[in-house]
Amino acid sequence: MEFLKKYPKLFQWLFLLIVFFALCFAIDVPETYKFIRGQAEFVKDPNQSSYIFLGKEVRYYAFDVFWRLPPLLGWLPIWINDSLFFLMNEWMPMEFWNEDTQEFKTRPLLLQISRNLTAFMTFLIELIREVLLGGLETIVAFTSWDWIDKNPWAELPGLPWTIVAAGAAILSYKLSGKGLALFAGLTMIYISIFGQWKPSMQTLSFILVAAPLSFIFGLGLGIAAFKSKRVEKALYPILLVMQTMPQYAVLVPALVLFGVGDHAAVIITMVVAVPPMILLTILGLRAIPPEVIEAGRMSGCNNWQLMFKVLIPTARRDILIGVNQVIMVCFSMAVISAFIGAKGLGFNLLLALNQLNIGLALEAGLCISLIAILLDKMSLAWANKQTDYFGNLSFLQRNKNILFFGSTVIIGIILAYFGTFIFKDSFNYLFEVPHNKGISTADFWNKGVDWIFDTFFVYIKAFNTWLIQDVLQPMRALYLRMPAVATIVLVVGAGYLIGGIRSALVVCALTLFIAFSPWWDRALVTTYMATFGVIVSCIIGFSVGTLCFQNKHAASFMLGVCDIFQTFPSFVYLIPVMMLFGITDTSVLIAVIVYATIPATRYTIEGLRSVPIGLHDAATMSGVNKFQRLTKIEFPLAFPHMMLGLNQTIVFALFMVIIGAFIGTEDLGQYILKALSDKNGAGIGLTLGICVAFIGLIFDNLIRTWVDKRKKHLGIN
Amino acid sequence: MLKDNYFNRLKELPETIKQFGGLVIITVIIISTFGILNTFWGGGDELIKKMKLEEERIANEKKLNALISQLPSGILVTFDGTDNYKLTDELYEAVCNATKLIPQRAIMAAHFLNYEAYDLYTINGNKIDDTYVKWNVDKKKCFAGYTVSGENVGVNRTAKVVGEVLSFLSTGIDTRVYFIKNF
Repeated sequence: MEFLKKYPKLFQWLFLLIVFFALCFAIDVPETYKFIRGQAEFVKDPNQSSYIFLGKEVRYYAFDVFWRLPPLLGWLPIWINDSLFFLMNEWMPMEFWNEDTQEFKTRPLLLQISRNLTAFMTFLIELIREVLLGGLETIVAFTSWDWIDKNPWAELPGLPWTIVAAGAAILSYKLSGKGLALFAGLTMIYISIFGQWKPSMQTLSFILVAAPLSFIFGLGLGIAAFKSKRVEKALYPILLVMQTMPQYAVLVPALVLFGVGDHAAVIITMVVAVPPMILLTILGLRAIPPEVIEAGRMSGCNNWQLMFKVLIPTARRDILIGVNQVIMVCFSMAVISAFIGAKGLGFNLLLALNQLNIGLALEAGLCISLIAILLDKMSLAWANKQTDYFGNLSFLQRNKNILFFGSTVIIGIILAYFGTFIFKDSFNYLFEVPHNKGISTADFWNKGVDWIFDTFFVYIKAFNTWLIQDVLQPMRALYLRMPAVATIVLVVGAGYLIGGIRSALVVCALTLFIAFSPWWDRALVTTYMATFGVIVSCIIGFSVGTLCFQNKHAASFMLGVCDIFQTFPSFVYLIPVMMLFGITDTSVLIAVIVYATIPATRYTIEGLRSVPIGLHDAATMSGVNKFQRLTKIEFPLAFPHMMLGLNQTIVFALFMVIIGAFIGTEDLGQYILKALSDKNGAGIGLTLGICVAFIGLIFDNLIRTWVDKRKKHLGIN
Repeated sequence: MLKDNYFNRLKELPETIKQFGGLVIITVIIISTFGILNTFWGGGDELIKKMKLEEERIANEKKLNALISQLPSGILVTFDGTDNYKLTDELYEAVCNATKLIPQRAIMAAHFLNYEAYDLYTINGNKIDDTYVKWNVDKKKCFAGYTVSGENVGVNRTAKVVGEVLSFLSTGIDTRVYFIKNF
C-alpha cells in the first residue's frame, strides 16, 4: 500500500494495462473474422450489412462492436468523391470564351478556375524549362506557330551546362565560400557527365516554380496569422494535420482537381510546402523582441513599413530557414509527384525502380540527393549570411560576382559555339550531354546487386525468413488481435494520464475517426510497422547519439551525417534496401529504420548538449563518475528533448511506411497507392491520408503534452 | 446541503485518488458506450450464421467443381441409346446443382414448341430475363427455365419456358445446359 501511495502514477498505468489486457483476453476473435475481410472493400458481398447515410450506401461486415466498430464514416470517401465530381462538373456552369475555337463554351466555374490555374503553372514551368533547356513553346504562347516558323532564330536556345555550373559555383561562393563553391561545381559537372542534365533541369524548373510560390503564399499566410488570431486559429488545425499527413495522400485529390502532369505536381507541392513556411514565419515574427517593434513605431512606421522594413528583416533568419524547408519539401515532392506525371529525376527514379534497375535508380537517386544537399547548404548559408549594411565598397567590389557570372556566360557561349565544330558529327557535349550519352555506372551497380544476391542469398533469405516469420508476423498478429474497445481504452486512458481530460478527448476523437473509417485493420498494420521501426530506430538512435555525445568531434560529425541524410528525399532510401533485400517487408522496415534513426540520433545529441555545462561541473565536483552523470543528470534533463526526437521518429517512420507501399505492404499506404490509379480514388486517398495523419497526431499529442509537463516540472524552457 | 457536502468531500480527496477515479470513469464510459453501440450495430451472431452458410456453399461448390473437372468433355446425357457419356443418377444430381449457364443453343431449341417465347426472343434482340437450373427433389429430375419479356405488336408480354434438362455440355471447366425438353 505504501508503494502505491509512493508511486500513484505507476498504479494508474498498471490499472490501465490490466484493463487493456483483460479486454483483449475477454473478447474473442469472431469466428468469421479474417484480416482480409475486416475492411469494407466497396465490393458487394451478400454477407455484408449496409446502411444509408446522406444518400450513400455503405457496406460492411458487422462484427461484434467490441471487436471492430462499424464504419460509420464509410460514407465520407464516397461523399468527398461525389462532392468533387459535383464541383468539377456541375456547380455554377458559366459561359467562357475559348481562344482555340473562338466561341463561348459552358463550363462549371471550378473546372474553369482549375484549368486556368493549370495553364498558368504549365506556362511558368515551360518558361523556366525552356530558359534552362531550350524550346519554343513560351515564344509561341506570345506569338503563333506561323510566326516561329518564319522566325526560327526566336526559339529559346537554352543555357549550356557550363554556364549553369559556373553560376551555381559563383552563387555558392558568394553565400558560403570556397568549399560550397567547389561542391556546387563538382555536383553540376557530375550531373552533366553522367547524362542526367536534362532530367535534373526538369526537376529544377519544377522546384524553381513551386518554391517561390510556396514562399510567397507561406509568408503571406504567416503574416496574416501573426496579425490576426482568427486566421491563426483557422490555420492551426490544417497546419497540424499537414505536418503528419503523408505526401502521397495529397496526390490523389490533386489528380481529380488538376489532372496529370507537372502543373498538378507544382500545385500539390505548394500545398505540402506552404505549412512549414507559415509555421516558421509565425515563429520568426513571434520571436521579435517587443523593443524592436516599439522602436519601429517610435520611428513613425505605418503598419506596412513596420512589417516590411522592421519585422521581416528582423525575422529574416527564421524566414530563410522556412525557405530552406520549402526547398527540401519541394525536392521530396519532386520524386513523389512523379506518380502523377511530373517529369525529371523523380520520374526516372520511379521508372528505374519499377523496372528493378537498381543501377539506374541509384544514379538518379544520387543526382537528386546531390542537388538536394547543394540547395540545402545554399539556402542555409543564405539564412545565416549577415547583410553588411555599413560596408563602404566600390562598385566592382559590390558587383564582382555578377561580373564574374557575366564573363562565365560569355565564356560558356563561346565554348558551346566551339563545341559545334569540335563535335561536328555527334552531340555538342559542351552544350548539353544527352541523357543516354553520358557515363553510366548502372551496369556496375546492377552487377553489384547480382553479386550480393549470388553471394549472400542464403544469409539474406535466412534473415528475411527469421524476421518475417518470427518477429513481424507475430507482432502483426498481436496488433490485429487487439479489440477496438481495448485499443480505445488504452489510448484514451493514456491521454488522460498524460494530459488530463482535454488530452483524453483529443486522442479519443482522433482514434474514433480511424476506428469509424473502413480501414481500422489497415491502420493497425500501419501502426505495427511504424512501431517496429520506431523501437529499433530509437534503440539505435539513442545509443549512437549517447556514444557520439561523449566526444565533441564525433557529435559534430554525427550531426553533419544526420543533416546530409535528412536532405535525401525519402524515396531514395528505398534504393539501397531493395538492392540488399529485394521486394519484401524487410526492405520497407529497414528503410523505415534508417530514415527514422536520423531524428532519434539528432535529438539525442542535441538533448544531451542542451544540459547546462554548469551542471556538468557541479556533478563532477560532487564526485560522480561519467556513467552516473549520464544516467542521473544528463539523461533525465535531456529526456524531454529526446522525446521530441521520438515524436519526429514516429512521423518519419509513418511517412516511410506509407512510401513503402510502393514495394508492396498491406497497410494504409497500399490503399493510398491503389487510390492513385482509381478514378474514384480522391475520397479514399484523402480519408486514408487523414487516418495516417491522425495516427501521427495521437502520438504527437501524447508526447508533446508529456514533454511540456516534464519541462515544467524540471524548470526547463 | 447534502449535495454541497458531497461535492466538498469529493473536492477534498487527494489529487491522485481523483485522477484514478477519473480513469475508472473514463474506462467505464468507453466500455458502456461500446455496449450501447453493440445493440444497434453489432451483428456478430447473424454474421457468423451468414458466413457459415456462405462457407458451406463455397465448400460444396468446390466439391462440385472437382467432380465436374473429372467428367469427360462433351455432351453428358441422362438417357440411354446414344454414344454420349451417360450420367449416373448421383452424377446427374451433382451436375444439375453445379450447372448455372443456359447457352443460346439450348434456349433456341427450347423455343421449338413455344412460339410466343420465340417471337419475344427474336423481336427483342435475343434478350432473356431470368434463368435458373434447379434439382427437383420430388421428381428427381433437373429442370431449367427462363423468362422472356418485351413488346410484341405494342403489347408488353412475358413468356416463361420451363423444361427437363435432358443433356449437359461439359467444357472441362464448367457444365452448361445442352437440351431442355419443354414438350
